Amino acid sequence: MSAISELSHLKVSKARTPEEKAARRKENSRDNKAGYLFLLPWLVGLVVITIGPMIASLYLSFTDYSLIQAPQWSGVDNYVRMLEDDRLHNSLRVTFVYVFVSVPLQLVVALAIALLLNEGMKGLSFYRSIFYLPSMLGGSVAIALLWRQLFGTDGLVNQVLRLLGVDATIGWIADPGYALWTIILLHVWTFGSPMVIFLAGLRQIPSMYYEAASVDGASRWSRFVKITLPLLSPIIFFNLVLQVIGAFQSFTQAFVVSNGTGGPSDSTMFYTLYLYLRGFGQFQMGYAAAMAWLLVVIVGALTAVNFLLSKYWVFYDD
Amino acid sequence: MTDLQTRSATAAPEASPAREPESRPVAARRARSVVKHLLLIAASLLMIYPLLWLLVSSFRPTDVIFRTPGLWLNDLFTENYTGGWYALGSPFSHYLVNSLLVVVGAVVGNLVSCSLAAYAFARLKFRLRTLWFSIMLVTIMLPIHVVVVPQYIIFNLLGWVNTFIPLVLPKFLATDAFFVFLMVQFIRGIPRELDEAARIDGCGHWRIFTRVMLPLMGPALATSAIFTIIWTWSDFFTPLIYLTDPEKYTVPLALRSFLDATSGSNWGAMFAMSIVSLVPLFLVFLFGQRFLIRGIATTGIK
Amino acid sequence: MAKGKQMGLSRRQLLIGAGLAGAAGMTGLTACGGSGSGGGSDDGSAALTFTWWGNEVRNANTTEAIEAYTKANPGVTIEPQPGEWNSYWDRLATQTAGNTSPDIIQMDMAYISEYGDRGALLDLEEHGIDTSKFLPGTVDSGRIDGTLYGVNAGINTPILMANPELFEKAGMDMPDDTTWTWDDLMEIAAEVAKGADLDFGASSVFSADSMFSAFLRQNGKELFTPEGLGFEVADATAWFDMMMRFFEAGAIGTAAQISEESTKTLDQSTLAVGTGAMQVYWSNQVEAVNNASGKEMALLRFPSTTGKATDRKAWYKASMLWSVSSRTEEPEAAVALINWWMNSTESGMINLAERGIQPNTEVQAAIEGELSPAQQAVSKFISDIEPELAATPIAPLPGGGTLGAVMFRYQTEVLFGRTSTADAAQGFVDEVTSNLTV
Repeated sequence: MSAISELSHLKVSKARTPEEKAARRKENSRDNKAGYLFLLPWLVGLVVITIGPMIASLYLSFTDYSLIQAPQWSGVDNYVRMLEDDRLHNSLRVTFVYVFVSVPLQLVVALAIALLLNEGMKGLSFYRSIFYLPSMLGGSVAIALLWRQLFGTDGLVNQVLRLLGVDATIGWIADPGYALWTIILLHVWTFGSPMVIFLAGLRQIPSMYYEAASVDGASRWSRFVKITLPLLSPIIFFNLVLQVIGAFQSFTQAFVVSNGTGGPSDSTMFYTLYLYLRGFGQFQMGYAAAMAWLLVVIVGALTAVNFLLSKYWVFYDD
Repeated sequence: MTDLQTRSATAAPEASPAREPESRPVAARRARSVVKHLLLIAASLLMIYPLLWLLVSSFRPTDVIFRTPGLWLNDLFTENYTGGWYALGSPFSHYLVNSLLVVVGAVVGNLVSCSLAAYAFARLKFRLRTLWFSIMLVTIMLPIHVVVVPQYIIFNLLGWVNTFIPLVLPKFLATDAFFVFLMVQFIRGIPRELDEAARIDGCGHWRIFTRVMLPLMGPALATSAIFTIIWTWSDFFTPLIYLTDPEKYTVPLALRSFLDATSGSNWGAMFAMSIVSLVPLFLVFLFGQRFLIRGIATTGIK
Repeated sequence: MAKGKQMGLSRRQLLIGAGLAGAAGMTGLTACGGSGSGGGSDDGSAALTFTWWGNEVRNANTTEAIEAYTKANPGVTIEPQPGEWNSYWDRLATQTAGNTSPDIIQMDMAYISEYGDRGALLDLEEHGIDTSKFLPGTVDSGRIDGTLYGVNAGINTPILMANPELFEKAGMDMPDDTTWTWDDLMEIAAEVAKGADLDFGASSVFSADSMFSAFLRQNGKELFTPEGLGFEVADATAWFDMMMRFFEAGAIGTAAQISEESTKTLDQSTLAVGTGAMQVYWSNQVEAVNNASGKEMALLRFPSTTGKATDRKAWYKASMLWSVSSRTEEPEAAVALINWWMNSTESGMINLAERGIQPNTEVQAAIEGELSPAQQAVSKFISDIEPELAATPIAPLPGGGTLGAVMFRYQTEVLFGRTSTADAAQGFVDEVTSNLTV
């Protein structure tokens, strides 16, 4: 993960004279102690709660583990089997489509709405709450039921289409050709979380920048491009990285909408859903662990790429 | 439309030069505001439809819910609320209180531990920082389903299964890397001159953190708090694994008690109690978002 | 820096703790291999944990029964762990991995061999289970390779439920289920769908593994034999071909409707909302369907290939079973509780037929009058079909519990015209075979 090295752009390079270097070093050592003190709760959590299970899962990925019986060492069997598992390959394809379509779409919608809701206007706090509602309901069973009703063959969507004169008989959720798109829509629709983060980010942009710009007579668009986007870029970056990581692990929505099957015919079989079905449904936790580590490699690589590219567009004040 | 435009264009020169730059924007601004409100209202309807459906369904007997499309209520069936409240082992308030306890613990834990870690990552230069940061990101890349069993074994060994500790303690240890990263990004958006100035004044890191950073992190802290509340409130999987005693159930576990995929489910009561449990969330958001707005832009620091 | 050192030490201890925890998980069963002999004091006192899945109705009657038992046996304490079907199995698997599985477990046929074969369940006969009063044919459901890992908690049998009002609407008589063949079912379903303007004549017919099992049994095969899969590609092809004949006849809805139906809950199902005339269910679901639909459904037998109900190779299944964890410290107390649960009138009066018809004939006779009309109808159906019973099918082999889901996935492919019945059957058999862990 050297890609995150941009984080460690130390200001050391700026120190030129020996005195400066010495001062810098002294400060660095002070930072060292303080850094670890501030990090202490997280480090304890890592050691006690996080790392052990992670290492355990890595070990389990090299075993045959049913959860009920003790794991049996099986070498790289699980990883070899993954190469020949058509359903796994299909789930990767489904997940990639989902990530690359729904993440950008959701972020654009969230940013647009956040911009709209950021301006002084009556009733804004009410709108904000309304727009966040779907995210509160998010992966609940009730939403899954509703979604199945809306997009059913006789659902509201088809009824509206029929009113518009379209002979709509498609089962949006039932047809393997469309089911994934209803889940993508569901994901985009729950744009509340990135929206809130954008809103908070927008609020952090000092208003003096805008005041200066409006004195200069800059247009709305150029203010957006020249001020909002660069100053919001760390937050956009955060949303992008976390949404990608999150979307690859997307589970709940597909699980509840397809009733845990990933159907129809695996068309909404997300990677993590398949992993879960293997691990808990078929008692192949070793295989599930191997799948999880493949996911870490994939998501890790994409995150690294994200961090590498961030050098070119993310603007930090520090 | 074109008529209006040309007329206003020709009328403009006649207006007094002093008023000219203002008058047009006012009309335009008002028109824009109306359009914006209309758009927002239309979008709100799309957003709120599921809630309306949930609300309406909660006032219907279970055997009517799935046979009656549409949102029209003929009569108010309140038994879902009165019956649902007492249908489980304890009154529903019991589960609301359980959830509240967990949520309060989680919020305090997340705010304290994540802001500390975030300050370290964002502002301090210490050895292996990049490595630790990368490890932190990796911890959120591993699906929960493969770590839950080893984690369960650890908590069981510590004797904490069937208590709230497995739900709350991890928050005090900043295991939600999401929030650490979120706060890191916000801190990095805060101009460095502010803490440099404090540093020159001789402030230590603790003072800089508590006196300079925390007050400026309002939006980030509010965001983290709101998300923690909502996600903890609706979390199902972790309480499912760790809480086996129905007396300790949190709201999502209690809600599932109304359902059985293999026979009949009490959907009406489930919807009614879902609405009940949504009310606090909605209120939290409605009032909590004020703090989102109280950012650097309004604290007067420029 | 004594303080720092101390901190380091405690952190290391925690690390060791985590390592140990990992090791404990890894060793799993073997760590507690000899637990069968442990615990159990002579004065009859015991602390038991008891887990089941169900809705709030079942939670209430189960809690009541538990209270009745602990009242009569003051030395026994019972910690209830109710759950919900979908998540129940995640928790049980996690608990089993963590060596904390409850003593008494409500088990399902789809999972019993997963747990039983891997040594997680107690041999009940070895610890004094009493099934002497059980209706013949109701005990073997829980037997795997000769060992009784679960006791039938309620008799179940697969049925076709039918909505008489819709037959009336179509101007048809109710079918004679003692003589009908599969072709009759197809024609009647198509006719009622057309006559009453329904989406489905019959639904869930081909996606139900119970129906497939009936079809196989009538052709001399089984879903599973102790050695592996009990049927071949040709049998699956025949089943898929028959599905396509029904499909083309307009008897079972469109592809989208069939696919949609599979994700619906019982309360949303076509029979419950009145868009279909017949649907495959288990007999213990009759009451729930009646409640959901507000109608009184007719109970129909499966068709047969010969047109004689006595040839249809019917069977009793356990709606659910009572199992005991092999790691329990109180095997005798746990089995004693199950004995009371299944064989006492007191328990029978509390539980009635909520988990299915009582297998203990004496208990069933004692509570018959207390049953709801729907439960009485089921009870009558269960005894009426006794002459039609054939051997009890064995439980799905480990890895075989997902057969129904795999089958339906291939059926969906066929229905949407994405593959042929022969290719789908081949894929289905290959996949199910590779899932088996025998």
